[in-house]
Amino acid sequence: MTTRAEFISRIREQVQKTPGRFSAASARRPQHPAAEADTIRRELAERWPETLEAFRREFEGVAGVFHRVATIDMVPAVVSRIAHEREARELVTWHSAALGADLAPALGARGLDVHPMPESEPGGVAERERLRAIAARADLGLTGVDLAIAETGTLVLVSGAGRPRSTSLLPPCHIAVFDRTVLVESLRQVGVLLEAWHGDGRPPAAGAAINFITGPSRTADIELTLTRGVHGPKEVHAIFVEQPIRG
Amino acid sequence: MTARRASLMVTCLGDLFFPEVGVSIVRLLRKLGVAVDVPADQTCCGLPLFNSGYHADAAAVAGRAVALFRDSEHVVVPSGSCAWMVKHEYPGLLADSALAREASQLAARTHEFSQFLVRVLGVTDFTAAVPGRVTYHDSCHLLRGLHESQSPRTLLGKLKGAELVPLPGADECCGFGGSFAVRLPEVSSQILAKKLANVESTGAGCLVACDAGCLMQMGGGLKRAKSRVRALHLAELLDGGR
Amino acid sequence: MSDAELATPFRQRADGAMKDAFLQEALTIATTKFIGLRRDAFAGFPEGEALRDQARAIKEATLQHLDHHLETLIGNVERLGGHVHYAATPAEARSIIVDIARRTGARMAVKSKSMATEEIHLNEALEAAGITPVETDLGEYIIQLAHERPSHIIAPAIHKTKGQVAELFSRELKRPAEPDPEALTRIARGELREKFLQADLGITGANFAVADTGTVVLVTNEGNGRMVTSLPRVHVAVMGVEKVVPSFTDLMVFLAILAKSATGQKLSVYTSMVQGPRRAGELEGPDEFHLVLLDGGRIAQIGGPLREALSCLRCGACLNVCPVYRQIGGHAYGYTYPGPIGILLTAMLEGAPAVKDLAHASSLCGACVEACPVRIDIPRMLIDLRREVDDKKIAPWTERVAFKLLARLLQHPRLYRFAAKAGRIMQKPFASDGRIGRLPLFFGEWTRTRDLPPVASRTFQERWASEKDLQA
Repeated sequence: MTTRAEFISRIREQVQKTPGRFSAASARRPQHPAAEADTIRRELAERWPETLEAFRREFEGVAGVFHRVATIDMVPAVVSRIAHEREARELVTWHSAALGADLAPALGARGLDVHPMPESEPGGVAERERLRAIAARADLGLTGVDLAIAETGTLVLVSGAGRPRSTSLLPPCHIAVFDRTVLVESLRQVGVLLEAWHGDGRPPAAGAAINFITGPSRTADIELTLTRGVHGPKEVHAIFVEQPIRG
Repeated sequence: MTARRASLMVTCLGDLFFPEVGVSIVRLLRKLGVAVDVPADQTCCGLPLFNSGYHADAAAVAGRAVALFRDSEHVVVPSGSCAWMVKHEYPGLLADSALAREASQLAARTHEFSQFLVRVLGVTDFTAAVPGRVTYHDSCHLLRGLHESQSPRTLLGKLKGAELVPLPGADECCGFGGSFAVRLPEVSSQILAKKLANVESTGAGCLVACDAGCLMQMGGGLKRAKSRVRALHLAELLDGGR
Repeated sequence: MSDAELATPFRQRADGAMKDAFLQEALTIATTKFIGLRRDAFAGFPEGEALRDQARAIKEATLQHLDHHLETLIGNVERLGGHVHYAATPAEARSIIVDIARRTGARMAVKSKSMATEEIHLNEALEAAGITPVETDLGEYIIQLAHERPSHIIAPAIHKTKGQVAELFSRELKRPAEPDPEALTRIARGELREKFLQADLGITGANFAVADTGTVVLVTNEGNGRMVTSLPRVHVAVMGVEKVVPSFTDLMVFLAILAKSATGQKLSVYTSMVQGPRRAGELEGPDEFHLVLLDGGRIAQIGGPLREALSCLRCGACLNVCPVYRQIGGHAYGYTYPGPIGILLTAMLEGAPAVKDLAHASSLCGACVEACPVRIDIPRMLIDLRREVDDKKIAPWTERVAFKLLARLLQHPRLYRFAAKAGRIMQKPFASDGRIGRLPLFFGEWTRTRDLPPVASRTFQERWASEKDLQA
């Protein structure tokens, strides 16, 4: 078996004979990512309506369904309407701490079977399997959003306690709730935020997966015919809440 | 107009198979007040050797050309691919030889024919030798090697007596590719067939290109199909009297 | 492709593909569509050109310090609780992965689309070890059921009709299937959902790995990448060493151009960034994470003539625009990676002799360079490969002699003029009406489908020398 030392030394040997033929430079990284991220947030706070409009356009361009409500209290009504239109009952949701609000009672009152995910380590393997099975059979998955990228209509979700990866993946319909605080304009800005999360800033959650979601799951593998919902959700809804969710 | 003197690099295909192209270029340039000379003992730019990987031999052929055109003020080449060879590959091929500097100088003084007319001489008004609808094929080396798609179109667009119609897929290869055409003749022929179907769809009577290789391929295909479309070098079409 | 199939000369394989009417139609439709999607994506993205240059500069800078970036990556993956393995050869990579599967008691492995695992022929090795590999990308699933290999880097099953897929599903899955993409996709979703939930092992490639955070990045449209990295107990990512990028800032530059080049999307649906095994508090994610770093011929090219090909993002854009690929499709090339970039990668992985014919499967038209998001100069390297094939005398001796003769002739004007005269005499029996319609021997390859202009009765230089009015 090749060892790390052998492997790296082979590379080093080659690197040393590298011809310096091409222009070469990696991207300039932010020196103080957290500070730059704050600056971006501050600037965006002033022009969030344009950013939101750009996001809506791109999100709808990738077959996302956009909704807008004034306050977080109005979200359950939208969710239950989506559920009723699809004759869906079972909903799996991020924990209220991860969502920023406890919507379970209101959703339950509207006739949905609500399964909130636990806030912390869900015990042993058996318990994890049970929770996963719920996500696998649920019709709807309700999540928050850590970034919404206007340039591409993308939702970024960081995994962690109370915010399982499966909520946005296994149910055929994914509903994400967000507000102006997570809006960003460009992939470049996302780069700064990712640097900040991994550097001197604070990440939204401590899980091992960051997922960029740009519309519903799709394939064109059979005769290039666009088909949605091949493995991931067939539908993605984004509900924008005008009043910042965490006040 | 800045150039008073130019040398014609006729190229092997131009010399052996399309002498009338060279004749047209000489006549046209002379009418424009350019003194034309043709250094003797020309053979080939060496591109066929280069493309097939015989680089030492290509360098030897390139060295000959550099010496032949040593005293030329401008060198005019009827084929985009040969012009590209001189401009892009000679300096590298001869980098370690005594001719390194001269190769770079020759590269700078060498021009593909349409570029010479438009970008050096600044003349764009000509009369068509064959009137009617014409269409233009971008040869790969001129388009992607020398980044030239406009000069030939400017000339054809303003050509008296001719109407330029766009060719669908004009920027797609005709399937010539030098030895490629005979190493993989089936593939080359199928690429050609698609190209010619596009040509026929334009209704043009005349297909223009700025490369002898493409003209050999497309012209050969048109003749075999007994098409009424003629494949002409740009110079032949411009050479209709002013 | 099997050795038996490879024994068929490339020219015949190509010819066979051109006689397959369905394949021809599928190729034209698919490549034309991809070309249009890519063009539109960049037309609406003015900053794209500068980002392409920047992406290339990043790849180059990374290669110049690849040892350093890989060590950073390895350090971070291990810090996050992952394991890193080193595979010099495909065989070594296979045995590393089979060992992991055996040790963890895996019976079934779900795979997300990965060219690296195709390249190392992993599925055969898993099967031989009693582990069932299940391809979960729809296209890959189809060709796995059909026991074929992918024919396009990003659209592996473009050579199949919906009718063929329906027939395949009915036969292999033993259930009725209508020839409707929507219905077929639904069937695959159902079949594969069960596998995702049952599988013990998830195997992926990696589109990128971000060194300074130990992040493996997977780009998919279907969501299978997310399934494979979230649900099974063990995740193994197989990655060519050149896939590392230094930072997230660099990564964003690539993400901005990758999907646009591949499918014309601004971003693919899912970009999944995974950082080691499941963390405290997480419901999903593997208990074990393994990263297999693959050499397989790449390392030798860091300082070698194919170095530029190490910047390839596997987007498939060069396939779609290649006039040769557009006629013959992916299978005729005979190896894992088809198309113009595939020839270079095949030379890298299998050695130059493997591409002695393939190196000539290009008209050098340059459309690939223009389409390549990182502007890899594919034609230049194809020419270099031809040169290597000549220099090492891998090319047939007849050809080498012919080119040596040509070289002599082009260096000696008297020989050149003599050849012109000889040509005029020899062409006499074949020329009429200013055209040659049929020639013997090697020249017949031209004249089977095309006329040839005869050598002029007087060459230009002969006319110049003798016609006074031409000189005046």
